Amino acid sequence: MTIDRKEVEALIRLFERSEWHELRLETDGLKLVLSKDADAAALGSAAEAAVASAEQAPPGSADAAPADGLVPITAPNLGTFYRAPKPGVAPYVEVGQQVSEATEVCLIEVMKLFTPVRAGISGRIAKACVEDGEMVEFGAPLFLVEPEAEAAETA
Amino acid sequence: MALSRVFVANRGEIAVRIVRACRSLGLESVVGVSDADREGLAAELADRAVVLGPAPARESYLNANLLVHAAKATACDGLHPGYGFLSESPALADLCEREGVAFVGPRAETIERLGNKLTARTIAIEAGVPIVPGSDRIRSAADARSFAASIGYPVLMKASAGGGGRGMFVARAHVDIEEQFERASTEAKAAFGDGTLFVERFVEDARHVEVQIMGDGDGAVVHFGERDCSVQRRFQKMVEEAPAAALPAEARALIHDAACRLARHLDYRSAGTVEFLYDVDRGEAYFIEANVRIQVEHPVTEEVAGIDLIEEQLRIAGGGGLSVAQGDIALAGHAIECRINAEAPARDFAPSPGLIDAWCAPAGQGVRIDSHCRAGAFVSPFYDSMIAKLIVRAGDRAEAVERMGGALDRFRIGGIDTNLAFQARLVRHPDFAANRLNTRWLEGVFMPSLMH
Repeated sequence: MTIDRKEVEALIRLFERSEWHELRLETDGLKLVLSKDADAAALGSAAEAAVASAEQAPPGSADAAPADGLVPITAPNLGTFYRAPKPGVAPYVEVGQQVSEATEVCLIEVMKLFTPVRAGISGRIAKACVEDGEMVEFGAPLFLVEPEAEAAETA
Repeated sequence: MALSRVFVANRGEIAVRIVRACRSLGLESVVGVSDADREGLAAELADRAVVLGPAPARESYLNANLLVHAAKATACDGLHPGYGFLSESPALADLCEREGVAFVGPRAETIERLGNKLTARTIAIEAGVPIVPGSDRIRSAADARSFAASIGYPVLMKASAGGGGRGMFVARAHVDIEEQFERASTEAKAAFGDGTLFVERFVEDARHVEVQIMGDGDGAVVHFGERDCSVQRRFQKMVEEAPAAALPAEARALIHDAACRLARHLDYRSAGTVEFLYDVDRGEAYFIEANVRIQVEHPVTEEVAGIDLIEEQLRIAGGGGLSVAQGDIALAGHAIECRINAEAPARDFAPSPGLIDAWCAPAGQGVRIDSHCRAGAFVSPFYDSMIAKLIVRAGDRAEAVERMGGALDRFRIGGIDTNLAFQARLVRHPDFAANRLNTRWLEGVFMPSLMH
């Protein structure tokens, strides 16, 4: 059984959508290790893991994938992005602010239904990616966060 | 006012089909996709694609608020719902109307009234359309038994809110009633949240025939002839053709007239299908239900009528009215459609999602393929397994059957299981060639014949 590039890409897409954390596949001439764990290098040889994690980024968000260890907070669905709970009040978060997983960072509105988005990660807001009132699509990065551990290291 | 930009609230081949119709009318199109479809052909061909939500349909294609929000945010003035998903949801049509987006389909009220099978029967009676002898709402197995006695066995127990062949059970004698009533009632409650049942005569030797109609919403209605969709598995259509060649001329005229009468009665807007059961033994046609959307099998009608039904829908939604009068519509030749699915007939038609690694489609005179797939496309496990519709047209039915057999043989799809070989055997069966078909032929005659 041989597997070509297209099939590897399809496997990666399936893996991304699955709830699995790790997938290993070995056939003639191919050893594939996919992992959603940032320390995936420990799983196989460093080179293999690097290939896998490079291809792992979803196609639509590839351009937004931060190279500097920043983690995006992404839109849970299409909608209109609002940085503040209502017009004329302070935004939920400012750049530089510390957030925890439960911190509300913005609102996404769909037909007058406003849903708060939580950070889902602890760290420091490094960048706001979207202007207030803009339409965002599912998966679009809303903020970039410098994760807690790294924030501690650089401090 | 004519539409300028249309939001496509669907996926797969019909999304591609709508995008192409928009293009040929000079309209822009925006397709709303789920995360799983962001690299699909519809997203590639449309002027713009926006990602609505994750792959599961309830978080993307089945969320009316999300669809209308996306349509407005991308400045679309029309929304085409395709078929399936929310195409027959009065809530979506209503929301579009309130938000000033033209819904490419009937009015919400029409969808609501025809969506309920019991209400639809009442409307048919009002419009003077013949219906299958059947009951009003039944409340108990005893009610069902006494009604069955009055019309004779076998009878069909049907869910009023039903669709897609679910919530239907056959009782062949008094002793079956109790059990079938319970099963139908339980399934209706579970599947549709409404356990209301009614009973109607079950026609043993029946053909499923349906009339394609189109209305301008102000009382003008035309029909584009009929289709025969008798080849079904578990009430799901597999092969459709136009015209219904086995139908006697009087029956054909009767259903055309009845379908138009029903549509005119409702000031029907956009495309619709009025379905009938043709009782071969009695030589009578009865109204079953009306589908308030464009249907999967619309291409066979387009092929014999020489019209683009989606373009016609878009014109009507833009207030342009019907482009044709009944006298302008000439039907010629014969067309057949085979639904090509990613499924394994040998494994009880189990879906076969995966990567298509080879795709070589037949082409040539009288051969048409409506599909969103190609080599390298990924058939997602999240949605329906239909990957293509193969449509052929020829001067008469015999030639069309011949052409379909050849086209199926030449169609090569690699990487996934498909029903291509199954369809190729089906169209070469002597009964199919002789048009000796009914709604039970596929499961009762053809599939058992494969065992030998």
